[in-house]
Amino acid sequence: MAQEKLLSMSDAIERYVHDGDTLYLGGFIHHDPFAAAHEIIRQRKKNLTLSKCAGLLSVDQMIGAGLIKHLITAFTWNPLPTTAHCFVRALTKEVPHRMEIEEYSILALNLAYFAGALNLPYVATKTLLGSGFDWEQTDSGVKNRLRFEKSPFTGERVCLIPPIKHDVGIIQAQRSDPYGNAQAWGMLGEVQYALQSCEKVIICAEEIVDTDVVMRDPNRTLVPTFRVSAVVEEPWGSHPGPMAGYYDMDWPYNAYYEKETRTEELFENFMKKWVFGTRDRKDYLNLVGEERLKALRPERYEPDPVSYGKLTRHLGVPYA
Amino acid sequence: MPDTKEKETPIEQMIVSAARLITDGSVLMVGTQWPIIVSLLAKSLHAPGVTICYEGGVILAKVPDRIPLFTADPVINSSSALLGNSFDTLGMILHGGRADMALLSAASVDRYGNINTTCIGDYRSPKIRFGGSGGACDFGSLAPKTVIILEHDRRRFPEQVDFITTPGYLKGKDVRMRAGLRPDTGPYAVVTSLGLFHFDEQGEMVLRAHNPDVSIKEVKDGVQWDLKIHRDVRPLDPPSKKELRVLREQVDPDGMYLRDARRFDEKEVAV
Repeated sequence: MAQEKLLSMSDAIERYVHDGDTLYLGGFIHHDPFAAAHEIIRQRKKNLTLSKCAGLLSVDQMIGAGLIKHLITAFTWNPLPTTAHCFVRALTKEVPHRMEIEEYSILALNLAYFAGALNLPYVATKTLLGSGFDWEQTDSGVKNRLRFEKSPFTGERVCLIPPIKHDVGIIQAQRSDPYGNAQAWGMLGEVQYALQSCEKVIICAEEIVDTDVVMRDPNRTLVPTFRVSAVVEEPWGSHPGPMAGYYDMDWPYNAYYEKETRTEELFENFMKKWVFGTRDRKDYLNLVGEERLKALRPERYEPDPVSYGKLTRHLGVPYA
Repeated sequence: MPDTKEKETPIEQMIVSAARLITDGSVLMVGTQWPIIVSLLAKSLHAPGVTICYEGGVILAKVPDRIPLFTADPVINSSSALLGNSFDTLGMILHGGRADMALLSAASVDRYGNINTTCIGDYRSPKIRFGGSGGACDFGSLAPKTVIILEHDRRRFPEQVDFITTPGYLKGKDVRMRAGLRPDTGPYAVVTSLGLFHFDEQGEMVLRAHNPDVSIKEVKDGVQWDLKIHRDVRPLDPPSKKELRVLREQVDPDGMYLRDARRFDEKEVAV
């Protein structure tokens, strides 16, 4: 019998995220575990290697709070589009401290996670060639773990990408059963491969559902329960990011964040209000306000039901 | 509602000129910012049969009910024919050789169509930092035709970018091929608020057409190298009444891109 894995957010982070860990923060814009990121900041985890394909405000806040020693990313930005100030301060001024950066394109980072998930020594690709990431062809100053070789099959030049693996990965999903059979839908970017490259997985879910709900739609399951360490019930856990079927992206929050974090002092005040001034997600949601949350709720847009077909007996009809 | 009788702005001319480069029935990889509005204008006008793909694993089914503010705008949840993984679009469509054209915005572009969205100054201690590649490097590396769309500003057109986030022709077409990029790939056009540029046999940017209100000298002064001018250089056709009407009233009625309303610049944002 599988074991229930339900924990509070603070217990899940305390138990499974450690100083010095390599952490995959899941979600390609959507499914961003914002509530988990805030709890990691509150618990002041240190010297993290943070791996996030599409970095938005959650990454910027973790950098600004001084948790990140090494960032693996394809981009980190405020989608307004404008500067993610903490990310930029870390790289241009070493504020709050020096941060190493390991950059890829989105496809290249997907391939690195894929190699990590399958435990491959490397994957070969035709992207990145000739760019600043191609240290063999350019004098861009980039140092990375990529190799450039001739394909043994065609002789053409290829980029070899080594695997990326993580100690722990966190994702905000739409729903999960208490055992960690988590289901997500919408745009998934790198999520499926990246989660499988993690030793431990923390699932944060908008809703906890019965296993029966999962069993009736198994195509949507992210990772098998035996790969999941903890399940946290955390409604609105991705705000200000979006969650398909649950809430829109809080776009004006991006503009607000940009204005409120232009200096280190402003950023500190912002964090005092939104992170250190809140004990948990409930406190945070009170700050956002009920009216705003209500405005973010989308109209329902539902698929027609599908049938997977229930079979209980073998066909007993012989060919004549 | 904006007035259709008002003359086009340089940005509107840029969007329309870029949209005209899109062929009906083609498969497009669409980046964030200008490519979104350009591709949706084309789909609303002469190219209803284009397939619009976004890097996160999205293939649109229709022109969305509200204009996406970026390629991950949650409006995709109710506007898509396919929602999946980045491997679906960047992988099996783009890397797999099934895309016809990629549309990209850029912070800066150089003489050989190399794009920088990474940093100004030395990479190890940059003076200014941008967000990084996203899917841009994949687009520029792999797409048969890359169209680059950006507002014209001399600072955005150095002779050589400080960092090649997205490879154009590097230092010439032969150099691009030596790097291992496939011969049938690379920049096809640059469209700016001043004009339209293509690339010659060596992979160097050439002014092909200029906005009707802009002189060739103004365009030449708008880049930091001695710009080549095509021998048949001509003024661009201004947007037709229909193009302008569809752009203003149908594609972006709230001015999210046309009047930069998505930045909430004029309003105090209370949260």
